[in-house]
Amino acid sequence: MWWKILSVVLLIYVLLAGMLVPLKSGIQRAEPAYARTKQEIAVRFYGYNTMFSKAAASGIRTWLYYDETYALAASRCTALNDTILEAVFRMPANLPEGRQSAYLNAIIDHPAAGASLLPAAVELTQDSGIVAATLDSAWTARPVHQLHVQTGFSFPYQNVIYESIRNTYFHVPMWFVLLFLFGASVWYSLRYLRQPAPENDRRASAYAGTGLLFGVLGLLTGMIWANYTWGKPWSNDIKQLMTAVALLIYLAYFILRRSFDEYEKGARLAAVYNIFAFASLIPLLYIVPRMFASLHPGATGNPAFGSQDLDNTMRAVFYPAILGWTLLGLWLANLRIRYQRLFDKAMGLD
Amino acid sequence: MNWKSLIPLLHKEFLLEFRQRYALSGIVLYVFSMVFVVYIASIRVAPPVWNVLFWLILLFASINAVVKSFVQESGARQLYYYQLADPATLIFAKILYNSLLLLVLSVLAYGVYSLVAGNPVKDPGLFGLVLLLGSLGFSIAFTFIASIASKANNSATLMAILSFPVILPILLTLVRLSSVALRLIQDTAYTRDIWNLLAIDAILITLVFVLFPYIWKD
Amino acid sequence: MKFFKSRIFFTIILFLAISLPAAFAEGNRDFMRETGKINVVVAVILVIFLGIVWYLVRLERKLTKLEHQTKDDQ
Repeated sequence: MWWKILSVVLLIYVLLAGMLVPLKSGIQRAEPAYARTKQEIAVRFYGYNTMFSKAAASGIRTWLYYDETYALAASRCTALNDTILEAVFRMPANLPEGRQSAYLNAIIDHPAAGASLLPAAVELTQDSGIVAATLDSAWTARPVHQLHVQTGFSFPYQNVIYESIRNTYFHVPMWFVLLFLFGASVWYSLRYLRQPAPENDRRASAYAGTGLLFGVLGLLTGMIWANYTWGKPWSNDIKQLMTAVALLIYLAYFILRRSFDEYEKGARLAAVYNIFAFASLIPLLYIVPRMFASLHPGATGNPAFGSQDLDNTMRAVFYPAILGWTLLGLWLANLRIRYQRLFDKAMGLD
Repeated sequence: MNWKSLIPLLHKEFLLEFRQRYALSGIVLYVFSMVFVVYIASIRVAPPVWNVLFWLILLFASINAVVKSFVQESGARQLYYYQLADPATLIFAKILYNSLLLLVLSVLAYGVYSLVAGNPVKDPGLFGLVLLLGSLGFSIAFTFIASIASKANNSATLMAILSFPVILPILLTLVRLSSVALRLIQDTAYTRDIWNLLAIDAILITLVFVLFPYIWKD
Repeated sequence: MKFFKSRIFFTIILFLAISLPAAFAEGNRDFMRETGKINVVVAVILVIFLGIVWYLVRLERKLTKLEHQTKDDQ
C-alpha cells in the first residue's frame, strides 16, 4: 500500500516541480551575426526568459568571447525591453592568433538572472588591408570576470528545446518503466520454466502487457517531442528502434500465448519465446549505433542535451520521476495480475 | 549432447529431404519466382537496392525452407525421436542440416539473382563469408522458432511473426557487411561486425541448448 | 456506459491524441512552437494520461465481463 501512496506523492511532486520551476534565462540569437574589424557595431540580443529592463543600466555586462584570455566587452548596453538588449561593441583592429575570421560566443551577465551564453553568436572577419603585427589591446582590456550565478531553483535553457526540456520528466521515464517491466516479465518467465505455477505465468504476462502500454506511450510521446525539436518524428534512433522491436516481440508473445488450446502448453512456450527474444534484443545495443548516426541525447557529437547536461536541479526532479512512474507501472501491472487471478479461479484453471 | 547419435540424425534429415524432393524444389522455385519478379519490376537495379532485395529474398526463402523441418514430422515420429536421442543432439543436428540447406540455397539465389539483376559484388571473398555467416545465423534462429511455431495450429503465420524481432540484429549486421562487400560503404573495421555476428550466434545457440528441452517435452 | 464499451471510442481517443497536435500545428502553424514549445509538454502529458485511462477502461471492461460470468454461475 505504502508504495502506491509514494508513487502518487512523487508524481504530484514531479508534475508540479516539472511544470512550475522556471527556465534559466538564455539568448536565442544575435543580430547582426556578422562583423568586421575596426567597426563600431550595435548588436541586438534576443533573450528568452530574460529581465533586461529590470536591472540598473550599469548592471548588465556583455562580452563577445574568443577564449579564456581574449574577450571583447561592450562599451554600452541598453535594454530595449525585457527580451531585447542592444550592446555596442568597438571591434578591434585584428584577431588573436593571426586568424582571418572567428566565431565569438556571447555572454550576457545580469545581476539577478545570472550569466547566459550563446555559442557562435557573431562571426568577426578581418578587414582587408594591412594587419597590425601586435594584437589590439581591446581583447584583453576588460576580461570576463565576476559573473553572477543564478541561485534559485531553475532548469537549464537550451536553444531549440526551450520549455520542452520538461519532457525529461514525462517522456524519458517511459523508457525506464518499459525496461523494468519487460525485465520483470523475463524474470517471471524464467521462474515459470523452473517451477510451472500459474502465478508465475500470470505475472510474466501482466508485466509484459503493462510494458507494452508504456512502450507505446514512450514511442508516441517521443515522436511528438522529436517532431518539434529535431524536425521529424522518426530517425532510426537506437532507443526508438529498440522500443519498436520490443513492442513487436511482446505483440508476438501475446499472439503465441493465444494460439494454443491447452493453457499449460501456451504458457510454457510463451515463456521460452520471451527469454529467447529478450536476449536476442540485447545485441541491437551494439549494432544499431554502428549503422545510424543518432540525434538522441547521449549519442556522440550530439549538441542536444545529454546526461552530462542534467544539472542538479533536473536531477532533483528526474530521479523521483523515474521512481514515481515505475511504481505507477507496477501498480497498473498489479491490477492486471489480480484480475487474472480472479479470472483463472472463475475458469477453474487455478 | 550425444555425438554418436548426431550422425544418424543428420543422415535422417538428408534422407527425409531426398524423399520429399517436392518441398525442396518448392523453395527453389520460390527463389526463382522472387528473383523473376525483381527482374520484371525493375530491370536495372542500383547496388543499394540490389543489396536489400537480395537479403529480403533470402530471408523469406529461409523462413519457408526452415519451417518445414518440424512441421513435416508427425507427432508419432517425434515421440520416437524422443526415445532415441536427447533434445540437445536433435536440435543440433537440425541446425547443422538447416545451415547446409540455407548455404546451398543462398549460393543458388546469389547465382540466379546476379544472372538477372547484375552482379555488383566487389569483394567475393567477403561476400562468401557473409553468406556463410548468414546461413548459420538464420538457421539457428529459424530452427528454434520453428520448433515453437510447429506446436501451434497456424504455424506458418506464427513463424513469420515470431522470427522477425529475433532475426533483426542478425539481418541488420548482414546487410551492413554485404554493403561493405559491395563497396557501398567504406569501412575498414568491418571485422568488428563479423565478431558481432559470431557473438550473436553464440548467444542464440547457448539459449537454444538451454531452452529447447522445455519445448521438446510433452 | 455503453458508449465507453465500444471499441470505436478508444480508436477515437487514440486518433485524437495523435492528430490533435498536428491539426493545431496546421491551422495555426506556431501553436506547438510558440511560448517556448510548452505545448509540446502539454501534448506529451495528455498522451500519457489518455494512455493510462485507456488501460484502465480496458481492465474495467474485462472485470465487468468477469462479474457477469460469476453472477451467471451462482
